[in-house]
Amino acid sequence: MNTVSKQDFENTCKLFIAAIHKYFNHLSKVSPTAIAPSETGVPYVKEPGDLVLKEFTGMIGISGNRKGIVYFSGQREIFEDLLKVFTKLDEITDERVLDMAGEVSNVIAGNVRETFGQDFMISVPIVFQGKPSSLKFPEDVPVFVIPIKWKKYEAYMVIGLE
Amino acid sequence: MTLLIVDDSMVMRDTIEQYLSDYGLDIIGTASNGREAIQIVEDKKPDIITLDITMPEMDGLECLEKIMEVHPEANVMIVTALADKYTGLQAIDKGAVGFFLKPVDPDELKEGFNEILEN
Repeated sequence: MNTVSKQDFENTCKLFIAAIHKYFNHLSKVSPTAIAPSETGVPYVKEPGDLVLKEFTGMIGISGNRKGIVYFSGQREIFEDLLKVFTKLDEITDERVLDMAGEVSNVIAGNVRETFGQDFMISVPIVFQGKPSSLKFPEDVPVFVIPIKWKKYEAYMVIGLE
Repeated sequence: MTLLIVDDSMVMRDTIEQYLSDYGLDIIGTASNGREAIQIVEDKKPDIITLDITMPEMDGLECLEKIMEVHPEANVMIVTALADKYTGLQAIDKGAVGFFLKPVDPDELKEGFNEILEN
């Protein structure tokens, strides 16, 4: 595995942690039932071979001044809860759960452009359920994992950037 | 007043519709990419358009340019996750009347709508 400076690790994680908290904090403006603080655990560098995936995942490809992928992965229940906050719909399909996973990842990745700038280019979300047939992290790049807890749900933000 | 909602996320399209449900707007369509949006704009000439930027096939900034060519009277409000200042300036320069950052604060979006309606 490529080495990573402590400064780079900390700076990158801080940016994403701020974007994660911003996302979950804004929910209180959407619905009083969504008021719950988000918590992030201690970020760590992913071990090779450890996929760090939950049931539903929204992934964003990054190009421009940084290259790689970032993704947000969680169990169905966290996305169901978010969907209820936003859409008030009773019927929640897998399609909507995947769409929600993609939107969370899109918002978090897009928000860090405030610091990385317009050359931090993000793709449209790629969404999947379970383990995809191929999940390629950039080679020789340390992949950071930020554990997230919101309400009773656990999720991961995973960041693999050159 | 007629409204077109353009976003590749169906959750966001539903959410924006929810946020603006008090205004009694006639939602004449939704689109999941810029190409679909242009077709609807050409056919129906909506008064107000909410427009995402990161979308497949044609992104929101390119779409905005084309909207301004075919329907320059449209009030286009950008609703995007892209938080850098340059993108916001580009959008305003191309003719957008508002720029809203995702995650969208419903009150801010309503304020933006109020300004359009007042003008």
